[in-house]
Amino acid sequence: MTNQTTNASKECSKFQQQLPEFFDSEVSMSDQPHLKTCANCSALVRDLEYIAVQAKLLLPIHDPSPVVWQNIQSVLTKNLHNDEQKS
Amino acid sequence: MKNTLRTTDANAPAAPVQPLTTEARPVQQHQRRNPPIAGELTAISQAQQGDGAAFEILYNMHKRRVYSLCLRMLGNVAEAEDLTQEAFLQLHRKISTFRGDSAFSTWLHRMAVNVVLMHLRKKGLQLVSLEETLEPTQEDGPRKDFGTRDLTLSGSIDRVTLERAVEELPPGYRMVFVLHDVEGYEHNEIAGMLQCSIGNSKSQLHKARMRLRSLLRQNMGGRAGA
Repeated sequence: MTNQTTNASKECSKFQQQLPEFFDSEVSMSDQPHLKTCANCSALVRDLEYIAVQAKLLLPIHDPSPVVWQNIQSVLTKNLHNDEQKS
Repeated sequence: MKNTLRTTDANAPAAPVQPLTTEARPVQQHQRRNPPIAGELTAISQAQQGDGAAFEILYNMHKRRVYSLCLRMLGNVAEAEDLTQEAFLQLHRKISTFRGDSAFSTWLHRMAVNVVLMHLRKKGLQLVSLEETLEPTQEDGPRKDFGTRDLTLSGSIDRVTLERAVEELPPGYRMVFVLHDVEGYEHNEIAGMLQCSIGNSKSQLHKARMRLRSLLRQNMGGRAGA
């Protein structure tokens, strides 16, 4: 039993070390043999995929304060005056 | 996962027109996510001629995306506003050099990312912490997960919870996560921007997702126990 557990842990460790490459490859995760027999790594992969999908849905929802545009305008106006004075 | 993260829109908009080039160019993944906005080409062209009103139109078209990017990368409202301002001032200085080799928004966002990275590099402490988290150490390798799973995240995360968890990531992890998973940059682009290897970028992204999973599970556990 202990040997089985140790072997399973080794398999999981090996699989998880390769995960960054697996995620970025064209090969589907469902084709990974280890996932057919390991519920733990399957749950991990599902969670990581879920996080990545949710991240993609994080839309830009924050607007800068109106002061930002006022500052930009102020700098541009100042630069314009400086350029006019130089010429 | 690659398939779930990538869009392959074969009907991506064509390259911008006069005074920008009309040459057919390879459309990159990030460009597909940033198609031109209606009226953008005219505004770019007019802003390139020094039209202030056209520049304001461009600001209003892109302020939300640029500010959100700065805010997510920095996690600080005041700094994010300062750097949004800096990014648009830089845009004003450089807009005449835009030739339409990529989508305008891609070009602008890349400029904003560079402004943020430059800012972080100027700030000594942030630079150190960024490099530390970009250079994995033995102790900081990807965490293995051999425990039993009682909770799964699927269907349980709302946007606010995820945003908060992203804010809690260390700067290096957060940077790669935001650039790759939120903004859609490829690892080779991120490696170029952050001056690290592609493998390092992949490794950092994986560790960021693992850390997020841990944070989100803690959050779920807290809610379940409440």
